Amino acid sequence: MQDHVQTKRDRSRRWFDSGFSITCLLIASLVVVILVCLISGILWQGAPWLRPSFLWNAHHENQPNESGIGQAIIGSGMVCLICGMFALPIGIGTAIFLEEFRPRNRWLKWFHNLVQLNISNLAGVPSIVYGILGVTAFVYMFGVFGKIQTDRPSDYEIGIHYMYQIKTIGGDYVTFPCEDKFQTLYSVDRPLMVTNAKGETFELNVLPKGASRPSDDGLRSRSVFAGKNASITSQKEFYHMQLPFHKSALAAGLTLALVILPIVIIASQEALRAVPNSLREAAFGMGATRWQVVRGTVIPSATPGIMTGAILAMSRAIGEAAPVLAVMGGVLSSTLGLTNLMDSTPTLPVTIYRWAQDDNRAFEGLSAAAIIVLLLFLLVMNSAAVLIRYRAEKNKG
Amino acid sequence: MLRNECKLLASQRFLQTKRLAGLAFLSAVLLFASCDSTKKDGSTGGKTAGDATTEVNNTLSGTIKIEGSSTVGPISSKAREEFNKKFPKVNISVGEQGTSNGFSSFGKKETDISDASRPIKDKELAACNEAGIEFYEMPIAYDGLTFVVNKENDFCKELTIDQLIAIFRQDTAAKTWKDVHPDWPDEKIALFIPGIQSGTHDYCVEVLGKKDNQGLRADATQSEDDKTLVTGVKGDKYAIGFFGYSYYEASKDELNAVAIVNTSGVAVPPSVSAIEDGTYEPFSRPLFIYVNKDSFQRAEVEEFVSFYLDNIVDIVKASDYVPLPQKMYDLVRKTLDDDQVGTHYYDATGKKNEGSLDQIFSGPAVSKPKAE
Repeated sequence: MQDHVQTKRDRSRRWFDSGFSITCLLIASLVVVILVCLISGILWQGAPWLRPSFLWNAHHENQPNESGIGQAIIGSGMVCLICGMFALPIGIGTAIFLEEFRPRNRWLKWFHNLVQLNISNLAGVPSIVYGILGVTAFVYMFGVFGKIQTDRPSDYEIGIHYMYQIKTIGGDYVTFPCEDKFQTLYSVDRPLMVTNAKGETFELNVLPKGASRPSDDGLRSRSVFAGKNASITSQKEFYHMQLPFHKSALAAGLTLALVILPIVIIASQEALRAVPNSLREAAFGMGATRWQVVRGTVIPSATPGIMTGAILAMSRAIGEAAPVLAVMGGVLSSTLGLTNLMDSTPTLPVTIYRWAQDDNRAFEGLSAAAIIVLLLFLLVMNSAAVLIRYRAEKNKG
Repeated sequence: MLRNECKLLASQRFLQTKRLAGLAFLSAVLLFASCDSTKKDGSTGGKTAGDATTEVNNTLSGTIKIEGSSTVGPISSKAREEFNKKFPKVNISVGEQGTSNGFSSFGKKETDISDASRPIKDKELAACNEAGIEFYEMPIAYDGLTFVVNKENDFCKELTIDQLIAIFRQDTAAKTWKDVHPDWPDEKIALFIPGIQSGTHDYCVEVLGKKDNQGLRADATQSEDDKTLVTGVKGDKYAIGFFGYSYYEASKDELNAVAIVNTSGVAVPPSVSAIEDGTYEPFSRPLFIYVNKDSFQRAEVEEFVSFYLDNIVDIVKASDYVPLPQKMYDLVRKTLDDDQVGTHYYDATGKKNEGSLDQIFSGPAVSKPKAE
């Protein structure tokens, strides 16, 4: 009797056990099936559009055949570079501070705990919230440095030269230097030294109002009527900077840096914690200072872990659309491309988003093609992370 | 906010801790490396934009900011592309955050030109006045569509919105003409409609199905090529189709247009005049651009706006919209030439003007209607 009950319970126990593992297997394969469906759908939709010209062309309105993601790739690359440049040093530095330089002073301890608590909480904040923060903090800079207006240059800027341009009777534009950048118009009433597009400098021929137009083409392109307004324009160097940052690649990169900062910090902390304490103690035992311990022992052995975390954080950054959309608006293409950090630029995720809802449905295919490119980037980055981890483990072993 | 504080605090600590100088050096190296790549990115971007056709004017430079309606955006983007072929050094950005957002930025002097799928509202006008912004109001196109049937079709002369819903919408999808009207023949309806790639399709969905979240029926013959639609309707006595008004104009002899019963209960056949005076509704509306007068003083903006107007018919057609009659464009140009700033949609007492587009634009522009 006792035996019989035991077997029965045993059998149902085993039955339940195998049933549960089958359920788990089904759920797991469901995930895989969904993934395969999604990816094959995207491949099927996007593959016909994947051509070499797609990779370097810019977006063209209503012309899917001529459109591409050239500017978006450069834009994404630049934004991610800025993001990494700020997020990685600050994030890794913070992690080292939190893990290796634990304060002994009561107030510093309190500060230390505050930072730690905030970082744990911030890792879960949705990225659009950071986007809104980025708009206030970077695009407008809380209005501290003045408003952004089309008729008023920024008070704080470098790498920009102002000049006036005026249309000659011949239809060409000539420029001459500008002394006061806040004066947007300049009425030309006397001869000035001007420069044309070919770089030739000559004296502007100012004709009195109502005079007849010269017939000679050369003269026409050197003449204006008195009283005509020249308007201000500018030439920007590649290092052009201004405050506030406006809707720029720099503002977008900084916003993305905020998004991934908690991820970088937490991943680096984990990597530092994984370094055995015996290593630190041995180094201290040799008479090393705290900096020497961190520099010579802890960081080298934590580097693979930190790198992995950094790469995974960067692949999050490259795929983010919401904060970029909030900061730069949905730019699809720009005339001159990205010439300096103050330009706004399309990025891959934003391009995908805009194309997917374009009036011209052919852009849905292009959107899928852009997704394939983005997925390839992510795949490369993630396999780099896996490879680094694998190498590190092999070295340890 | 917390995030930023946290970052600031962290970076302050970072600087205080001089022992981390090594890492600071590392970030400096990274900074340098990225500056280098900025330069590289910049030059490639410039080069692609530089390759253009022969009659290029490289002498004009500058920046133009456009923001506003996503309906008008494609027209402005098209204008931007064509303009940049001629003036490659003018940097133009076209945003599509919606008419209201566009006017909000316009009223803060953040943009030079505002795209709008409706006239400016009194509140937006007040904001412009407060900021000291004067502007030119320029209608540029009609967004409209025309329903057509076979020449031999002698029963379907007019349709109500409800009948159109019955014919075209996915959920109602009338099979025969009898299902639409009991007096009409018991013949199968053949449908020829613009494909889902077309803006015209979307506009029809917006009018007929948006409030109930319904699309157009899938069993219709769809084509991006208007010619296919014309041939299709021409070849079947019991066919119906629709496309942009401008295309109907081009194939008037081969097809009959159906009058649409508007909200006042009058059946109005599509025509330039009916589209103009606003009686051909709900399938037409004017689209506008608003140009800041101060910005217009700048050479690049003036050049862009006059290029826009000079090539307006081509630009509008290339973006699948209905151009205004030439008379309207002449009026628009006159608005610029006579320096008429302000809106035509209000009179001096602040009352809203009603009537056809050309009646409205024949009147004076008012920049500061008296507040009620």
